[in-house]
Amino acid sequence: MSRGLQSIGRLAAVLLPLAGLGGLWVMSDRTYQQGTEWEVPIDGFDPRDFLRGHYVEFTYDWPGVEEFRDAPPQMLCLEGTAPQLARVTAFVDAAAAEPCAHPVRADASGVYGWEGLARGRLYLDQDRAMAMQQELQDADQRGIVTIRQREDGSFTAIAIRFRPLTPDERAIRDAQNAEPLRPPPAPPIMVAPR
Amino acid sequence: MSARKIATWHEAGLIDAATRDRLLAYETAHARPLALWAVFGIGALAIGLGLVSVIAANWEDIPGQLRLGVHLGLIAAALAALLLREGRLAETSPWAVEALVFVTAVLGLTFFGHLGQVYQTSSPLWQPLAVWLALFAPLLLLSGRSWPAALALIGGAVWCAWDYASSTTGYGGMRDPSLGWLVWIGFVTALPVMFAPLAAGLRGRSTRPDFWRRLEQLALAYAVAGASLACALASAGGFGNSGMTKEWASLATSGAVALIAGLGVVLARPGTSGRMAGAIIAGAGLAGALAYGVNDVVVAAAALFMALWVGIAAAALVAQWRGVFQLAVGVIALRLIVLSFELAGDLLTSGAGLIAAGLMILGVAWIAVRVSKRFAPRDEEPEA
Repeated sequence: MSRGLQSIGRLAAVLLPLAGLGGLWVMSDRTYQQGTEWEVPIDGFDPRDFLRGHYVEFTYDWPGVEEFRDAPPQMLCLEGTAPQLARVTAFVDAAAAEPCAHPVRADASGVYGWEGLARGRLYLDQDRAMAMQQELQDADQRGIVTIRQREDGSFTAIAIRFRPLTPDERAIRDAQNAEPLRPPPAPPIMVAPR
Repeated sequence: MSARKIATWHEAGLIDAATRDRLLAYETAHARPLALWAVFGIGALAIGLGLVSVIAANWEDIPGQLRLGVHLGLIAAALAALLLREGRLAETSPWAVEALVFVTAVLGLTFFGHLGQVYQTSSPLWQPLAVWLALFAPLLLLSGRSWPAALALIGGAVWCAWDYASSTTGYGGMRDPSLGWLVWIGFVTALPVMFAPLAAGLRGRSTRPDFWRRLEQLALAYAVAGASLACALASAGGFGNSGMTKEWASLATSGAVALIAGLGVVLARPGTSGRMAGAIIAGAGLAGALAYGVNDVVVAAAALFMALWVGIAAAALVAQWRGVFQLAVGVIALRLIVLSFELAGDLLTSGAGLIAAGLMILGVAWIAVRVSKRFAPRDEEPEA
């Protein structure tokens, strides 16, 4: 290899990482700033990942959708006036979906794959992740995640907050909690121990 | 070579004072400060791990743009230092260049995590790792001087390949991967071995032979570890059920890649050492591919594993690698001990079984020590 060619190679090897990382930054920033904000209720828990640090992982509690069974939907149509989410319509097959003004789609190549509409995560600093974990366990309040939804169906969770339960929600929760506490009915026939 | 040895030779009347002084002067001029290299390597590694943790702590109180700006500025400064000062720095302290290259690469890797925190992007780990490899592999290949840079390359490639394989075939990925996909996964996970022929080819021509030697060694170690793991999985009956290990075709593909890599090493580095390194990589490919055939056959799986390591021991004997030979003998002995437990599982509950197993372990250990002492190649460089 000639000396000139070698120094061009060196220069390229040094500029490539800088240009690549800078480009990624600009791209990430542009994507992040785009989109309409919606507020989605959640349930949550917290693990962490090696490279990116602490995050809160949560399950979306989309209004109007019963718990996802078997195959989670690949597309949801958001209805309401942003950021107030009134209700969503779920489509298991994204291709068969009707036209929709505010779609969100599961990203098959994302970290949650085909569960992308069921679960999400938000990166936080170490102390806040810990505090958030405590808050998510508090049954008297509701976690709300703000997502930025873009026209192509991609979306990013950008913030998380908590509000106390409404009286209706409280009643539903109490009804659910009360059931397993009821004493079981006495057995019809008692068998004497042998 | 130690100064003590030379002094002993002089005292024994083997060499005169002038020869002794010339030898000492030569050794001082050509000594490779191994301890210094190790300390710098470990230091660089510690800084790298520290950077990962510091970034992962996620300092939300500082605005994201500012944090990213400082981070990219640090990378730019390190790259500029490498571009402008590498030649001069390498003459006086090559290990400092190596540490700088390694820390720069780790700073680059943590930048992806930092972007993820600030912009809430959560892609599977293999995606940032693949982009990192594409951006930083040229720098590492052009400036690496020792094992930290080689480890960053091979480690990054292996991590990326396996995270890709597990996140696309495992939970959250494809529910039922097709045969074609499994063959592709077999190919991708074997790719890091291809660093071996590349390193073998450049070793003779480069001014940094130590880096290429380390790179080749690490690629070889990856091939052997993969084949050993396949044999271990076969003895546990882990093949044929689901996911990555479902089909023989993916193992055959990995084996073929390793075979090609081994052949490449033989062609790229003529001479005994190159031939034997190539033979080990090719043999690892063959053993890995055959592992599917002996699935759940305890003795055959153990025999395949030991055949692989007997081959490695033989190659080490021919190439005069003392350490590798002793390692191979030790591994075979360990596998024999494990085999005795696998076969005598039901007898072990009785005292007789335990005694027999103990005697067998002692016997195997004794034979291993004898074989290792009797046949191990003479150490060319006795420890100082």
